[in-house]
Amino acid sequence: MIPAASPPPAVQAQAAVSAALTETNVQVNSGFRGARIVLYGAVFDPLDRPSDVVVIVRGPEQPVRIARKTRILGLWMNSRPVVFQGAPGFYIAASSRPLDEIAGFAELRRLGAGVDHLAIHAPAEQRVETRYGIRDMVVSRLGSDYLDWRRAVVRLKEKGGLYAVDERGVRFVDKGLFRAEIALPAEAPIGEYQARIVLFQEGRPVSAKLRTLTVAKVGAERGLYLWAHHRPWSYGLAAMAFALAAGWAASRVFRRD
Amino acid sequence: MDIYLPIAEVSVNAPLLVALGALVGFISGLFGIGGGFLMTPVLVFLGIPPAVAVASMSNHVAASSMSSVISYSRRRSVDFRMGAVLAGGGVIGAILGVELFRWLRLLGQADLVVALSYLVFLGVIGGLMLSESLGAILRRRRGEPPPARRDRRPPWLYGLPLKMRFPRSRLFISVIPPILLGAFVGILSAIMGVGGGFILVPAMIYVLRMPANVVVGTSLLQIIVTTALTGVLQAGRNQTVDIVLATLLLAGGVLGAQFGARASSRFRAEELRAVLALIVLLVGLRMGLGLFVRPEDPFVLMSGLGG
Repeated sequence: MIPAASPPPAVQAQAAVSAALTETNVQVNSGFRGARIVLYGAVFDPLDRPSDVVVIVRGPEQPVRIARKTRILGLWMNSRPVVFQGAPGFYIAASSRPLDEIAGFAELRRLGAGVDHLAIHAPAEQRVETRYGIRDMVVSRLGSDYLDWRRAVVRLKEKGGLYAVDERGVRFVDKGLFRAEIALPAEAPIGEYQARIVLFQEGRPVSAKLRTLTVAKVGAERGLYLWAHHRPWSYGLAAMAFALAAGWAASRVFRRD
Repeated sequence: MDIYLPIAEVSVNAPLLVALGALVGFISGLFGIGGGFLMTPVLVFLGIPPAVAVASMSNHVAASSMSSVISYSRRRSVDFRMGAVLAGGGVIGAILGVELFRWLRLLGQADLVVALSYLVFLGVIGGLMLSESLGAILRRRRGEPPPARRDRRPPWLYGLPLKMRFPRSRLFISVIPPILLGAFVGILSAIMGVGGGFILVPAMIYVLRMPANVVVGTSLLQIIVTTALTGVLQAGRNQTVDIVLATLLLAGGVLGAQFGARASSRFRAEELRAVLALIVLLVGLRMGLGLFVRPEDPFVLMSGLGG
């Protein structure tokens, strides 16, 4: 349903947001070095109230395994790895102003806007127990370090260019017309991406749109990837046969006598 | 010119990888080693996921060893019988090694075991080789005669059953030590992403007491069989072999190996060993350093879920 651009008269006018991606298919071929996705959108508000736009792009969900290095007998060793669920493989929150100026904690958390509000958790570390006489409390085995672990997931993903918060990523280019640019690194995972465009007024989300984006391997890259994952043994044998043949061919070429 | 690797899912500089392959291939042909112990750390440093680097190296090592083993066999310096016995052990070791590596990754201790293996094995082998070869060079400089070679081989080599004749190596020994040696190298091959030549060559010289001229060619033969199996197992079990990465490396590697194998006859054996020992020692120390230095970030992301 396309929301009406002009509101019905008399009733309190409802603001709406609309947006489109300039590209909905990102093709990963041998020359792939990342992509820039441009998003255009418009805010329709007959009353012209001050508006803020937040664009949240999430990649396919990928569980994260993370370990902490601790010093044991003078050696830095990995702890047992902890698995975090619910982490997107790619995440960016672009907004027209810093997120905490746009909305309060509760709204941001509900929308998962900003890396601090990502709904990631480590279910294997959780157990339900009775504490202080309260039943069914969810406690993490990581204890008070839990936040350190969670922050580390985000920090390492940010370092890898896969998570980002862009406080000025959404720019109003004309009255009611905005533009956002999402940089997709070459390391970004393959799959379905979701772009959620949310219009905020007075700290409350008033309208939202969902757009999808597909990142897919094409051509030889896709063929090889599918072969390696669907028929791994024939792929392995063929790859090795090819390697041995190349070695043999080189020694023939270089034979001197 | 960047190229996107379909399995590693990263973009890399293609000419750089070909050049790296050529350099390591040259070293490989020169010293009769696979060169994996050099290449794997460099690939990881370039941002390729370690599991993919280790697995794809098997293909590269197999190819460059194949191209140089043929040059060696033309010079009749391959003991095929000994190579077959070693490779038999290598097959057992490779299968154990790939499973062991899966298990270590599940525990999150693969990094530690890889770093420790590099430190211990490369450190010890490099140190021993360096002191031995420097001794030989010094003696030659001073004009001293080489120490009388103790032809008394360790008695346990002869006390074991299942003796076999190896005419080209002029040996009549039990097959148990070569099989154990092959198996051990096979395990290392799967864990460290190496061919294992740096352990095989000294072990063949000092433990099995094989004549120096057949050692290199024979170790290459064993390396081909072991890495070929490891490569197929890694692809089948872990889906971590990147054919594009392996092809880039071996394009340079096979050429480099040819020049290396030719160049090897121009240098004295003990000088070659001294240089190799230095390289081995440096790589081992560099890889082991990470275990002692406080990490920049106490947390690490582990690639791949479940092995």
